[in-house]
Amino acid sequence: MRLSTNTLRASIASLALTVIVVAAAGCSASEVPDLERRAQQINKSVMCPVCPGESIDQSQHPLAVQMRAAVDEKLDEGWSDAQVREFFVERYGSAVLLEPPAEGAHLVAWIVPPLGTALALVALYMVVRLMARPRSRPAAPADEMTAAERDEYVARIEAALEGRSPGSREDAG
Amino acid sequence: MIVDAGSLALPIALLAAAYASVGSLLGGWRRVPVLVLSARYGLYTVPILLTLSTAALVYAFVTHDFSVRYVAENSNLAMPPAYTWVAFYAGNAGSLLFIAFVFSIISVVAVRGLASKLTHTAPFSTGLIALVLAFFLGIITFLANPLERLSFTPPDGQGINPLLVHFGMFIHPPMQMAGLISVALPFSIAMGALLAGRGGRDEWVDIGRTWGMISWLVLTLGLMLGSWWAYTILGWGGYWAWDPVENSALMPWLAMTAFVHSIMVQKRRGMFRMWNIVLVAVAFTLAEMGMFINRGGPVPSVHSFAQSAMGWLFLAFMGFTLLGSLAAFAWRLDTLRSRENLDAMLSRESAFLAQNVLFLVVAFATLWGTIYPVFTQASADVMIVVGQPYFNRVNGPLLLVIVVLMGIGPLLPWRRASWQRVLKAIRVPLAVGAGTMVVLAIAGVHRPVALVAIGVVALAVAGIAHEWIRGTLSRHRKGESYPVAFVRLLSGNRPRYGGYVVHLAIGMLAIGAIASSFYEVQRDFVMEPGDTETLGGYTFTYLGFGRSEHPDRSEVVARFSASSGGSDLGPMEARRSIYPEFRMESTRAAIRSTPLEDFYIVPSEFEENGRAVFRVYVNPLVWWMWASGPLFVLGTLLALSPRRERAAAALRIPAAARLASA
Repeated sequence: MRLSTNTLRASIASLALTVIVVAAAGCSASEVPDLERRAQQINKSVMCPVCPGESIDQSQHPLAVQMRAAVDEKLDEGWSDAQVREFFVERYGSAVLLEPPAEGAHLVAWIVPPLGTALALVALYMVVRLMARPRSRPAAPADEMTAAERDEYVARIEAALEGRSPGSREDAG
Repeated sequence: MIVDAGSLALPIALLAAAYASVGSLLGGWRRVPVLVLSARYGLYTVPILLTLSTAALVYAFVTHDFSVRYVAENSNLAMPPAYTWVAFYAGNAGSLLFIAFVFSIISVVAVRGLASKLTHTAPFSTGLIALVLAFFLGIITFLANPLERLSFTPPDGQGINPLLVHFGMFIHPPMQMAGLISVALPFSIAMGALLAGRGGRDEWVDIGRTWGMISWLVLTLGLMLGSWWAYTILGWGGYWAWDPVENSALMPWLAMTAFVHSIMVQKRRGMFRMWNIVLVAVAFTLAEMGMFINRGGPVPSVHSFAQSAMGWLFLAFMGFTLLGSLAAFAWRLDTLRSRENLDAMLSRESAFLAQNVLFLVVAFATLWGTIYPVFTQASADVMIVVGQPYFNRVNGPLLLVIVVLMGIGPLLPWRRASWQRVLKAIRVPLAVGAGTMVVLAIAGVHRPVALVAIGVVALAVAGIAHEWIRGTLSRHRKGESYPVAFVRLLSGNRPRYGGYVVHLAIGMLAIGAIASSFYEVQRDFVMEPGDTETLGGYTFTYLGFGRSEHPDRSEVVARFSASSGGSDLGPMEARRSIYPEFRMESTRAAIRSTPLEDFYIVPSEFEENGRAVFRVYVNPLVWWMWASGPLFVLGTLLALSPRRERAAAALRIPAAARLASA
């Protein structure tokens, strides 16, 4: 019963959050014309060649302004996004794009992170499994032990168990 | 006079730090307490000496002593006096002195605590701390003395980099530098314990965790202040660009985040002893790399104010740290065996481990993207850029998985969990997450990635809220009023609930980042004075602009009036300054910020006749990102605050009672 009231409360909280997000998202992106939005996407993926690290969308450099104008112009003429990017690559080289092309040698740039993630997760799984295995007890040297020795061994273990308080817990959560 | 005294103090401080390092390590190794003590006192003199040098540099700035090269290069007569403080660390030499000064002070605090609590390992830790300090002082003394004199006295200085003239610059760089260097403390504490052969005793863990968390907090604040600065002054409507220097500050943060989690497992369960040593060594190496990239590294970036060849010395020091740590680790490996085994694969412990691995994977992917261009340049002479789109695509999904884990991990019990128990624990947050997604989908959020991302954050927040509500209610039933019950709940298990507060802050950060990256509205407007336009429910009128000339810059201020939904937002001003001496421009956006969204105007071009181009953004929920800052501080302090004896006793008695009745 209690859980369900909490579920209710939690749902209310999440609804409140939802309303905020929806209201925020509500300022519809549709009032920005489609071509302009495509231009923004392209601008964000093309680097301004004279200001390292900055996209032509960010940069206020005259060259960036020119390049933005070129993007608008090409899109107006009906070019596709890929064609516009290709246009800049031909002029300035592949370094003009803010992400390495997912082809040829540069595929490496894209493959390594997912590959590393996969390897790390496999390693994690194996380590956890290894650690979760009960620690191998010191092998009871049964064969080399005489009966008397074994009795004494068992007695020592029992004495030790006797003296121990049951399940000494040390942490509570 | 004072400048020369400050200059002279530098080599003396270097000698003192070197002596402290050698003496402390040797004294620890050969067990000579007198030597250890004298080395420690040697270290205590360093902050005193550096105070003198720091004061000398400040004095030189304030008195406009342009015969000091660094002062001439980083300030001028026209500069606002308050920015003397910023000019102090505007260049290489000054920022290194700042780093050394800050580090010498926190070192003394840490070393005093160590000496009283960990008598066996303190000499080694102190020796390592002093070694790091000596490295910085060596560079300052021989390669980058900020108090070095010119052979002549120029009539005026060159002035300060205009991008640094912003309120955020008063705290972001010093926070960032202090954060990076402070990683040396948990590193030295852990390594000292390892060298002393006592890494397997968990005595270093409490103090190591304390300094680890302080360092983590300072790094966090440094990163957030940097984003805030980028958002308000770089004028591109964003706050994080995955720029190499940002990345290099993020990577040690990621490793430290892994460390402050994983150290809890060692504290509670005596496990992950080797792993924690590895983590802290990785974190410190990455922190050194952060300083290396910032101080003249090979990667181009908007942060490259201060480039120099000394970066390569940092690289060598980094290699030394990594190899030295590895060697010490291999040598002392046998002392690091865990006290206990993992009881089950499904447990809080393994969730912590998974968290660690994910954070390291993000750090690795970030590192990979950051250095990949350097690789291709060096190996194939191919220029390539790895920028924001790449990192969003590669790290975005990983970060989401981390948020899922953040929601679920804390709900798992220590030691051993059954699937039924786990499902029971996570069904409420799971339901809230799924419910949020359904509601949003109905309400019109149709981008699958955004939907999933928001659902995941809702899940994480719901997990925390659920536990808080449940805990408070159960205390309330025992007769405590709601506020009292809530406060007692939080202070009952401070590391846990402090962690929750920080997780909540992460949730706020995430929701701001997700909303603004998926639902930002951006548009360029060409406007004549008097024109009115609308965007995203905001109506704004360009009233006109004024030019003003200042000794160091010429400035254009555009004025607007704006309204939203019929209510007037008051006047807004966007600014664009041109600094002829630096051939540089800086922009100050006009921002109206509410918890719901930011209305943001950036001027991009002005023409003589008053026509201008403005870029206008409506950025949803960005406010939450900045509002999470205080929560980070609060949560970390809560997690660090020592538990009162009374609370501890109250917890112990019921446990004992349970045992007696069993």
